[in-house]
Amino acid sequence: MKESGVGLAFIISILLAAVLQLVPVSGYLLLLKPNFLLLIVIGWIIFRPSQWGIGFAAATGLLADLLFRAPIGLHVLLFSTVGAIPLYLSGWLVYFSLIHRCLFVFILIIFAELMRNLLLLMWAIPADYNYILIIALTSATVWPAIDRLLLNINRKR
Amino acid sequence: MAVHSYTAWFNPIEKFFDNALLPAHWVATVPARLNEWGQLILSDRSDLEVENTRLKQESLIHRGQIQRMADLAAENLRLRLLLNATELLMDSVLVTEVIGVSPSRNSHTLFINRGADDNVYAGQPILDAEGLMGQVTSVFEHHSVALLITDSTHAIPVQILRNGVRSIAEGTSNYDRLRLRFVSPTADIREGDQLVSSGLGGRFPAGYPVGSVLNIEHKAGASFIEVDVAPAAKIDRSKHLLLVFTSKDGGEIGPSQ
Repeated sequence: MKESGVGLAFIISILLAAVLQLVPVSGYLLLLKPNFLLLIVIGWIIFRPSQWGIGFAAATGLLADLLFRAPIGLHVLLFSTVGAIPLYLSGWLVYFSLIHRCLFVFILIIFAELMRNLLLLMWAIPADYNYILIIALTSATVWPAIDRLLLNINRKR
Repeated sequence: MAVHSYTAWFNPIEKFFDNALLPAHWVATVPARLNEWGQLILSDRSDLEVENTRLKQESLIHRGQIQRMADLAAENLRLRLLLNATELLMDSVLVTEVIGVSPSRNSHTLFINRGADDNVYAGQPILDAEGLMGQVTSVFEHHSVALLITDSTHAIPVQILRNGVRSIAEGTSNYDRLRLRFVSPTADIREGDQLVSSGLGGRFPAGYPVGSVLNIEHKAGASFIEVDVAPAAKIDRSKHLLLVFTSKDGGEIGPSQ
């Protein structure tokens, strides 16, 4: 895909993730909903580490802060920290199989949720630890779709 | 984070973003609206007729109840006047629709399709058919943002309907739980007790259902008991809500639709 096409795909992917994040769900489904914005950040960092790094993760974190109406900086910190891990391992991650990348995302989301809950606790906002594993599992379940999509976009250059 | 939590410097940015986000909320609710539309299109005519008949009957019953309520309200007014009560509260309502919800598990906010154009104001209470839902926090030209009673930053003064014992119900970031604060271990409170807004603080009008006591836990050595409350309103399900306009001393009140 041409560079302009990749740019367009990047913008569409972020917008789509934001809209998916806003889709209203009720009851327990809300507790299972993956953080699509974080997944898309992880995806772009894995497949385009030279272009999309910590700055991009922080900017998307700011978008998430405004989207979630969270204290500004919470997701900036979270996305930057979580984004640093795939950035550091990006040279290896592209050679992983899809299953291994799913497992990596599963562990990364557990870390992200633990960190998020820790940050929320600093603001005396009750955290729900019971759902961390399930959110990580749903994130790992939707990951193959994101993985294949971003892999195809970045392969056809 | 600290600057955002303790100052209002980021408020203009948040307000701008809330406004800019409206189309995204509209797009996000397209699947739900398509589902509703599909159900309407695919529903059987006879089913619609049965539902129509049921709604007409319900409407008739409610009208009858309202007539009785009007009589009681008038009697209440006369008694208050006799007692020289200083404040007479009259409420009017405006129907509104939910157009978006916060995607966060920890921030319980709603976007509604009424704004400054409809005289909506910050702090205005919101109800659904079952009970109190929350209050408006930000008002824009054509829409508003409301904070739900289940948000962890929200608290509402309540009283037990049975005996008038007062307390404060605060959100727990869980859509089907509230928690009562500072309830003495000797307080007369039982599981199943109905809670209504007490009107203290002047933000919420008195007498609206808030929830019912679900569970009471006595912890040894603790100064207060832990009381879990199930909200009366269908916090994460209601689509059509009511904005309450309150006027003191029976003065002119907002629109009633």
